[in-house]
Amino acid sequence: MSDILKVTINLTVICALAGIILSATWAMTEPVKVAKEAAEREQALKALIPGTDNIKPVKDVVIAGKEGVIYEASSDGNVVGYIVADTAKGYSSFIKMLVAVSPDYNVMGIDILGHGETPGLGDQVEAGWFKEQFKGKGMDNLVVVKGETKTDIQAISGATISSRAVTKGVKDAVDALKVYREQAPAPGGADGGK
Amino acid sequence: MAENKHSLLKLITNGIFSENPVFKLALSLCPAVAVTTSVKNGFLMGVAVLFVMTMVNITVSIFRKLINPKVRIPAYILIIATYVSITDMVMAAYARSAYKEMGLYIQLIVVFAIIISRAELFASKNRVVPSAVDGFGMGLGFLGALVLVGAVREFAGKGSLAGISIIGANPILMMVLPAGGFFAIGLLMGLFNWIEVKYFGGTGGSPGGGHGGH
Repeated sequence: MSDILKVTINLTVICALAGIILSATWAMTEPVKVAKEAAEREQALKALIPGTDNIKPVKDVVIAGKEGVIYEASSDGNVVGYIVADTAKGYSSFIKMLVAVSPDYNVMGIDILGHGETPGLGDQVEAGWFKEQFKGKGMDNLVVVKGETKTDIQAISGATISSRAVTKGVKDAVDALKVYREQAPAPGGADGGK
Repeated sequence: MAENKHSLLKLITNGIFSENPVFKLALSLCPAVAVTTSVKNGFLMGVAVLFVMTMVNITVSIFRKLINPKVRIPAYILIIATYVSITDMVMAAYARSAYKEMGLYIQLIVVFAIIISRAELFASKNRVVPSAVDGFGMGLGFLGALVLVGAVREFAGKGSLAGISIIGANPILMMVLPAGGFFAIGLLMGLFNWIEVKYFGGTGGSPGGGHGGH
């Protein structure tokens, strides 16, 4: 019986030591991590709608079954745009993104925050040329086309599913924003809302 | 004691060449395929493993007489998991861009066969210094192998090396896909064995018996 006791004490001591070391590390690194994450997020938000001094979250929403957030960007008290954070189901991962939408529901820009798409193919959703295509597009032009296009969204060759996923994520974001604004019209939000 | 016979330099070259974890022992091939789509990813993973392995070997060696043999495996796993968690937390705080790409794989280091096998085969039987050197050498071997596989795959698949475009096209895109990982490792393993047989008079097999060379 004393053998069982020895073994138990042995493992308990190891677990306790590991616990102490891990909590100490966590206490040291967690504040740094949280601060950096917040700064990164703010930077990503500001890059999408340049020239605003105030971007604040206004509503937590559910978009396509996933958590999303709607941010309102204002400048001198006027709403200049919205940013919707949502998640789209890609080919092999969930693609987290930010979609900047103007008050008349045109896309102002998108950013991919994280994904696990196929390296060399689907990971081009992060590429500049792909993201740039969304700029200025309205709901009607958010359609994925294989081959050259100027009016719609050109698919990444070999990664049509990832391209469609991002496009759907953008559309869902615009839809979610419409729902939000119909429910609670933003002050001064009459500027072009159809 | 066995450790007197080991010269420390030999322990390092052992890990890099004659018992290279990936090319000779064929251990931890799973991460070797998964993360080596580019030189950078392979390097970062290699550095994380190098750190964890050295620290685990040192710790296991220090406590080798206190750990009850009956529970040594859970004890080793706990030690490994502790260091991996530390690596994970530190990277999340101080190496954000690397962590974004590697975050998922870092936690998997806990179950890398190469780490527990060195703890069991070497560190549990040897003094601290040789154990540390063994872990470091094995870690270096793993790091080198990952960088090499990453270089082959990145060059063949994306036409670049360490993110710098060289060809400007994707010559064999398949090489960055999972299947390409097997091809790259198989070819490099063959090359490793060929060099050993040709220039060092080895048998070309893996030390664990069987035929390692494809």
